[in-house]
Amino acid sequence: MRLTFRTALAATLAAVALVGAAHADQLDDIKKKGVIVFGVLGTDEPNSFVDPKSRDIVGYEVDIAKAIAQKIGVKAEFKQLAVAARIPELQQGRVDVLAASLTHNKERESQIDFSLTTFVTGQKVLVKTSSGISDIGQLAGKKVLTVKGGTQEPNIRKAVPNVDVVTFETTQQAFLALQQGKGVGYVNDEASLVNDYAKLGPAKKDYAILPTSISVEPLALGIRKNEPALKGVIDGTLRGLESSGEADKLFLKWYGPTTKLQFDKRSFKIDSDKI
Amino acid sequence: MPHFDLALVLHGQYHDWLVAGLRLSLALAGTAFVCALPLAIVVALLRLAPNLALRTLGAAYVEGIRNVPLLAHLLFWYFGAPELLPDGLKQRLYAGNVEFICASIALTLYTAAYMAEDIRSGIRAIPVVQFEAGRALGFGFLGTMRRVILPQALRITVPPLVSQTLNLWKDTSIATVIGVAEMMYQAARVESASFRSAESFAFVSAAYLGVSLLITALGAWYHHRYPVRTA
Repeated sequence: MRLTFRTALAATLAAVALVGAAHADQLDDIKKKGVIVFGVLGTDEPNSFVDPKSRDIVGYEVDIAKAIAQKIGVKAEFKQLAVAARIPELQQGRVDVLAASLTHNKERESQIDFSLTTFVTGQKVLVKTSSGISDIGQLAGKKVLTVKGGTQEPNIRKAVPNVDVVTFETTQQAFLALQQGKGVGYVNDEASLVNDYAKLGPAKKDYAILPTSISVEPLALGIRKNEPALKGVIDGTLRGLESSGEADKLFLKWYGPTTKLQFDKRSFKIDSDKI
Repeated sequence: MPHFDLALVLHGQYHDWLVAGLRLSLALAGTAFVCALPLAIVVALLRLAPNLALRTLGAAYVEGIRNVPLLAHLLFWYFGAPELLPDGLKQRLYAGNVEFICASIALTLYTAAYMAEDIRSGIRAIPVVQFEAGRALGFGFLGTMRRVILPQALRITVPPLVSQTLNLWKDTSIATVIGVAEMMYQAARVESASFRSAESFAFVSAAYLGVSLLITALGAWYHHRYPVRTA
């Protein structure tokens, strides 16, 4: 008797959950609200950062997000998130989409869905030349600094098994700690690392980016699981940006020769959500 | 949502990370407590000193420290203050466990400000005639405090000091922002690696609660063993 009651209860709960899921379509909700909320970092130039003059959040991912909002016909709103808070904030519905330098990897696929890959970067290590380190292997037993909750920490531990890692809330705090000499290396996505390196100005001569990548990171927008309509319109917008040549322009605007990063050309296309 | 599986944090790698975090949290709280208590007594005495300059110094310490958030203290002692040291000393500090040292300093100074106020209240609870009696016997200010007032006052202060110790214990969690691998830091690490926030934070909540109850119990035992003796 007791078992049947439990089974009945479980069946009812399952039915309620199914009906609930079938009814909720995030894209409809977004259209109804008239606003789409993007979770961004706001501390990761040039993907998303605060423009010192206008105090607005700008960047490569911000421009992509605005294009998506325009396509849906709603206002784009940006909410700054800590690296470690990204996936939980998305899952709990406090943001609609993540545009937050988010690596697309297999582990995360069990938690959320990803758009087409919007950027590809390696992860590298910035060191002070005075440390005498010129190769990743020499980091063994040394202290390196990076951000909490990203793929940087697991990747450097995989690349250099007995490295000592200290993590901070933002990449910029980790970068500051490197400059102050609190560790020998600072791990980050190459694109952000080159940007930070450029910020050093004349002090650049005392720093070097180690040549070997510790990993290759495809970045993508993060979407809640089972939202095919929203994923459809996001991927559609991204394909549109690629075919119109707009994606190339965005790349050059934020990463091109006239920027601090001075990348000559794009080494990837926005055309796949497979990794 | 995957179902709640506590086994994940009860053995294996994630368990080891969390236990390492718990140990470091305890070490941090222990270090800060041992340093903060004597400092708090000194500050409380400063605030009651017969000399105006000393009283002002004590008051400035308490107000300057307790009116600034702990987060700001931690960031200052980690990112700010060490940069003012001479180069040689700075290199030596940075080569060691700078995160732990800076967090201990910040937590000690912060906790001592609150403890000092509680101890001052305890001292003021002792009838003033006791102080006068001490002076009449020929003890100086410090002698009277040490031999007559403080032994009684500290017993009165035990319950509020237990509260401050509980606060200190929980405040160690904020040290995660300067990269101290204490319990919250390790919980966040487990969460990032496994996406199992509920299990990892259930573990640390239970650990904070367990240690807190232990501190309370120790405080109650001490208070029972060394009761307040009214004059």
